[in-house]
Formats: sequence, structure tokens, C-alpha cells
Amino acid sequence: MKLRIIFSLLGTLLILFILVPIIRILVAVEPADVVSSATQKEVIGSIFLTLRASFWSTLAGIFLGVPLAYFLARAKFFGKKIIEGLIDIPIVIPHTAAGIALLMAWGRHSLFTRLTGINLVGNEASITLAMIFVSVPFLVNSAKEGFKMVDIRYEKTAITLGASPWKAFSTITLPLAKKSIISGSIMMWARGISEFGAVVILAYHPMTAPVLIFERFQNYGLKYALPVAALLIIISLVIFIILRALEDKR
Amino acid sequence: MIRVENLQKRYDDFEIKNLNFEIQSGEYFVILGPSGAGKTLILEMLARLTKPDSGQISGLDGQKISLIYQDYMLFPHLDVFNNIGYGLKIKKADKEKIEDEVVKMADLVGISHLLHRQVTSLSGGEKQRVAIARALILKPAVLLLDEPTAALDLSTKYKIQRLLIKLHRRYKATFIHVTHDFEEALALGDRIALLIKGRIIQIGQPEKIFSNPKTRAAADFLGYKNVFSGEIKNSKMNVSGAKITTPLKQASSAYIAIRSNDIILSKTRILSSARNCFLGKVIKLIHRPSFIEVLVDIGPVLHVYITYQSYLEMNLTAGDEIWVTFKTISIKVFQH
Repeated sequence: MKLRIIFSLLGTLLILFILVPIIRILVAVEPADVVSSATQKEVIGSIFLTLRASFWSTLAGIFLGVPLAYFLARAKFFGKKIIEGLIDIPIVIPHTAAGIALLMAWGRHSLFTRLTGINLVGNEASITLAMIFVSVPFLVNSAKEGFKMVDIRYEKTAITLGASPWKAFSTITLPLAKKSIISGSIMMWARGISEFGAVVILAYHPMTAPVLIFERFQNYGLKYALPVAALLIIISLVIFIILRALEDKR
Repeated sequence: MIRVENLQKRYDDFEIKNLNFEIQSGEYFVILGPSGAGKTLILEMLARLTKPDSGQISGLDGQKISLIYQDYMLFPHLDVFNNIGYGLKIKKADKEKIEDEVVKMADLVGISHLLHRQVTSLSGGEKQRVAIARALILKPAVLLLDEPTAALDLSTKYKIQRLLIKLHRRYKATFIHVTHDFEEALALGDRIALLIKGRIIQIGQPEKIFSNPKTRAAADFLGYKNVFSGEIKNSKMNVSGAKITTPLKQASSAYIAIRSNDIILSKTRILSSARNCFLGKVIKLIHRPSFIEVLVDIGPVLHVYITYQSYLEMNLTAGDEIWVTFKTISIKVFQH
């Protein structure tokens, strides 16, 4: 019993540490200011841009990351640990550094842009790229754990019942790992929305919400940054509470 | 006929070594062996799910093979109906046909009342019935069963065994069943292959294997509890003071094994043709589900199986003096 009391006290400290700043913002801000900023075209535009770009990045993450996650969960090969370490690199390196690395790879003077003429700096595509880079590890790792939990003998059983490996994957493995994939996708989307460092280097304009908050804070001070920050927190909280609730319902 | 030739496979820390056997079509073939003998691996190779390192399996080309794993592997996101119908759905059978076949199959294995239950809520025996139905609905030529009763309680185990016998008769498919339970092998197998440490030690009809284990490991595994070693001189082996008359005249080092069923207990000495008769002392009585195991000290300790009826009539208790009689011809001898 003592153990539980001590652990719950320690847990409460952590929860307060997370909650207090958020409550502080929501208390400090004038509701009228939040409403007025919610009607500003620039603010609304940046919030939608953020949600949208992160959504694209998550779609790309599902398309490319789920097959990789399955491969890593099932295959045994030399150097697997290195590949797994590689996936985690974006989590480890500072995101401003990640932004600079992305700029080198996809910027105006990159081989890609020179060959294709496609500009990947200062637009929604570049924001999406930055978000994929920094947030895809959350999806891949979560999906990989999900696939690992599906006993390979389910697939083998499906195959002896006449399923092709594709059918066994789509009718058995995928539905059984669905929860982890969805939860990883939500994490990836959330992580994309909150991204600042890599995005600001690849695309200062158009401004995502985190960049807009930074810009207002930098140029006009706390008073002007606060309503936008509060608005983004409220919108994010509402969306994620809804998503988590839907996830649990399944 | 399925023919397995020189099959080899190494997997983690065990190995299938140079496996050779044939299975007649329609046969109920049991592979009997302790866990870790590589039994599941053999089934996976027969089901073409795992490739052997070398050797070949012939006679299965184009045949439909179903495999039932030990822990059933029912798809947890599908209900009983959709588990059983999975194979037909994959084949794109039409809805009425699936419905019709699933209902018939469920009836045959005795789970009609469970069709709309979630599989996670079923008991072990029910799960096994669903797994069997799911495999048999495709009318496979070969059904592979991996320890189908290992996780079940005794009465459920017997029910599943009876079901397997019934289904084997009805479908006339080849059943290949692996188990570590020698009573189950005896009850079900047309023939048994005894697999120990990745090798087949013996293969043949159940009674022949049980009455004639070829090695000491085989005798141990087949449930022989009275296995002794020593020198045989003038047909006698001295086992901790008891001079046992054996069918072999001389051997510098040999094992003898006596089946617990072949030993007679009596309150008085029996005058008979049996060469081995010793006075001993009952040291323990163990109640088994269908018999009583009596431990008798005659120098070595013998394990003797008697019926519950005999136990009551003889009024045995620990500490009683008792005569032990067994025929020389019932002793199996293995030389090194």
C-alpha cells in the first residue's frame, strides 16, 4: 500500500508539472482576445496549414512507414539494429539541425531541385517534408511493436487456409496490429503539428501556427503571442481528446 | 503416399536429423516425442511453411494441407462463424454456401451454439473444436495436428480424442498428429513414429512399439518406470541385491525394462512359471486417474500398476509386506 501512495504522489508531481503551464496560459489569456484572434485570417490560415501539412505527412508516413515497420518486425537480417537506430535519428538530433540537413538535401541548390525544378522550400510541401522527417519514427516504432505482438503463426495458419501472403497480411496481421498503427499515426500527426525547429528553417513562410506564435512573441511580445498560443492549445486538446476517445471505442 | 527422405533442419538450438518415413494416404499417423524434439518443425515443413535445409518431402504436391497449432491460433478479431468460414471466404465462395457449410461443420464438431461468440471467450476445448472445424471445412487431404490436447483437462482431452477419431473416419483424410502423450498416441495412431532428439527411433504399430522399445530413451519415454542397468551373468542381473532373471544369458553391461502392467502383486507367494518372485515392502500408494501406482521396495523400487478394485480387495497400505511376481519373458533387454 505504501508503494502505491509514494508512486501516486510522484506521479501527481509530474502531472502538475505538465498541467500548470497549460492552465497558466488558459487563465492568463483574455477570452475576448482568443475569440478575436480566432477571427483573424492569418491565425486561422496558419492553424489550418499546420493541421493539413501534418495530415499529409502522416499519410506519407503510413504509406511508407507501415511496410517498413512490418519488415522490421518480421525479418531477421544482419544490420537490423543499425536500420532501427537510423529510424530513431530524427528523435535524437536537434530539430534545427534536422532543418538544416533537410535544407541541404531538398533546398534550392540541391540536386533534386536542380534536376526536377521542383521547389521544396518555403511552401506547404516543404513543411510536410520537415514534419515527416521529425515525426515518422513515432509511427514506425509504434507500428513495429504492434506487428511484433501478432504471432507469426496467425499468418501461417491463414496461409494453410488458402490465403496468399498478401491476403494473410491484409485480413489478419493488419487488423490485429491496427490499434498500434492508429495510435502511432495519432502520435505522428500530433508531433507534426507541434514541430517548430525543422519547419522554421525549411519554411518561415507560409507560417505554421508554431512559427506564427514565435514570430508574434519575437516582434510584438508576450501579449500578442498569448491568444494564438491559447487557441492552438485548445484546438489541439479538443482534437486529441476526440481521437483518443474514438480509438478506445474500437 | 507421403514420403519424407533425408530431411534435415537446424533451428535455433535443436535439429532434425536425417528423417525418413512414409505415411499411407488416409492413415492416422502419430509422431510421438518429448517436447523440444522438433515435432512442430516437422509439421511446418510438411505444411510447406518452413523449408528444410536438405532432403525432400514428396507426395504432397497439389494437395490441400491444413495445420492446427497447439494454441489453436484462432483469429482473435473474428467471431467463431468467421473463423470457421475464413478459408471459404478467401476462396470467394458465395455467402449462402459459406453460411451453409459453416453451420454444417459447426454441427459436426458440436459447437453450433457458439457461432456468434467471440473466440477469446471460449474454453480450451471449444477453441480446439473451432480450430478443427476451420481446418476441415476446406476438406484437406492432409490434416496436421500439433499437440491438439496438450492444454486441455482430462475429460475434455478424451472428448477431443473421440472427435478426432470420428472425423478421421468420416473424412478419410491423412491425419498427422504430434504429441508427447504416449497414451494419446496409443489411443489414436494407426502407426506411431517415436521421435527423440530430432531422430526417429522407432516406427510401427502402437502395440509393437509399446511392447518393444528399442532403446533405453524410448523405454523411458514410453512410460517404463522400471528400468535398471548392470551386468548379466548366467541370465541374472543383480539390481541392488535383487537377482532378476532376464531373457539374456550374458552381457557385460545392459539395461532391463519391466512394464508396470506386467508385474503381479500378491499377499502370498505364487507358485507359477514366472521366474521372478520377490518379497518386498509397499512404500507408497499413488492414486492415478484410472489406476493405482504402488511403489514396492524389493531392493530396487518397482513401480506397479494395479486397478482400484484390486487395491480395495487387497486392502493395501504403506508398510505391508507383499510378493512381487513377473515373467522373465516380459523383460525387455537393451545392450549398449
